[in-house]
Amino acid sequence: MAHFRLHGSKVLAVEITGDAVKAKNGSMVAYDGEMTFKKKTGGGEGLRGMVTRRLTGEQMEVMEVKGHGTCYFADRASEINLVTLHGEKLYVESSNLLCTDDALRTGTTFTGLRGASQGNGLFTTTVEGSGQAAITSDGQAVVLRVTPDYPLRVDPGAYVAHTGRLQQHFQSGVNFRSLIGEGSGEAFQIRFEGEGLVYVQPSERNTIGGEV
Amino acid sequence: MTGPVVFDAHSLPPSDNVNPYAFSVALDGQWFLQKGKMIAYYGEIDFQGVGLGRLDRLIARSFHSPLHAADWVVAEGRGKMVLADRAFDVNSYDLDDGNLTVRSGNLLAFQPSLALKQSIVPGFVTLIGTGTFVAASNGPVFFVEPPIRVDPQALVGWADCPTPCHHYDHQYLSGFLGGVRAHTGIGGASGEEHQFEFVGAGTVLLQSTEQLMAEIATGASPHQAGVPVRDR
Repeated sequence: MAHFRLHGSKVLAVEITGDAVKAKNGSMVAYDGEMTFKKKTGGGEGLRGMVTRRLTGEQMEVMEVKGHGTCYFADRASEINLVTLHGEKLYVESSNLLCTDDALRTGTTFTGLRGASQGNGLFTTTVEGSGQAAITSDGQAVVLRVTPDYPLRVDPGAYVAHTGRLQQHFQSGVNFRSLIGEGSGEAFQIRFEGEGLVYVQPSERNTIGGEV
Repeated sequence: MTGPVVFDAHSLPPSDNVNPYAFSVALDGQWFLQKGKMIAYYGEIDFQGVGLGRLDRLIARSFHSPLHAADWVVAEGRGKMVLADRAFDVNSYDLDDGNLTVRSGNLLAFQPSLALKQSIVPGFVTLIGTGTFVAASNGPVFFVEPPIRVDPQALVGWADCPTPCHHYDHQYLSGFLGGVRAHTGIGGASGEEHQFEFVGAGTVLLQSTEQLMAEIATGASPHQAGVPVRDR
């Protein structure tokens, strides 16, 4: 199994010994040893994945990196967070997914209104299985635990990823004042309930909700 | 391999940095918060625009900037909030019966025991009183003492010293050619002909970059006699 480690906080080093990893297309910055890079169509999920991703707008340009040695990945100097999965599911925006172990399965899932509020579309990417994955964030991500007693509210623009058994509720506090320029700017939130971890970045994407 | 540090409602610090770019505040009551600077929270917290009638007394006491009113909300309730701003470095500062002026876009939140007043320098706000506030800077903040001249873009704020004045490089402006250069830009410029000059006693806060937060339109001064127009 490929071994992931961080080289600083913005470069991911993956030691590969004959196996493979899937990585964002063009994210390799250096490697030593022997590597081959092969573009995978449809996120490496075959014809079905190709069609699904095209339909859902969760397109993901992925390459398969195979060989022996160390391969370094980076993406526009964004911070990289390592996630180790033991059979659970990671939900992440395809644009934030940098690299996954070949043993992990990727797919797409419907997110509902939450996705729309983030300006990321109605679908998100899932990563499932056992192995390591690397996700990127604008600034070092904060990992927050959700327990049944302590639900968490997250600004849609700062949400990056989550793992575990979490229910998401789209919460809106819009009232009449939002319409006359007295909005709170925090009118839309995602409420996470259940048991799991949420990755939040210290920066907000532009969202429709942020304007209200 | 060690996993990432995981925070929950209890392990989030009550009033400290979570990492250099995120700050956690334990809320029990009210705080002023600039819109869009809250990224996540635990607990029951409401966010209300500062125009709400119920908040009149609080606003009258602690918020004196109609120009910035549209950018601020009052966070009310109990819980822990995580604040962040475009992956900039954030830090909290304590004022003890003091005053500090800061670039309006860089201020994330402040305790209502402080009063926010609009500075006469366009785009800046002054905090007066005793309490804690959270501000962002692009790169770590460093503190210097007057007399000093600073690059306008690197300035985050200043405390306890008189309002700065503009300083222009005399060599650059002198003579006929200097005049032409100053008015037309012909002849080239090093980009360092203009500084803010601080004199007197106090502290000046600088960031380690000249990249600014995007300017917020409401931070502009009103066009009125006696109010300086923002320098172009």
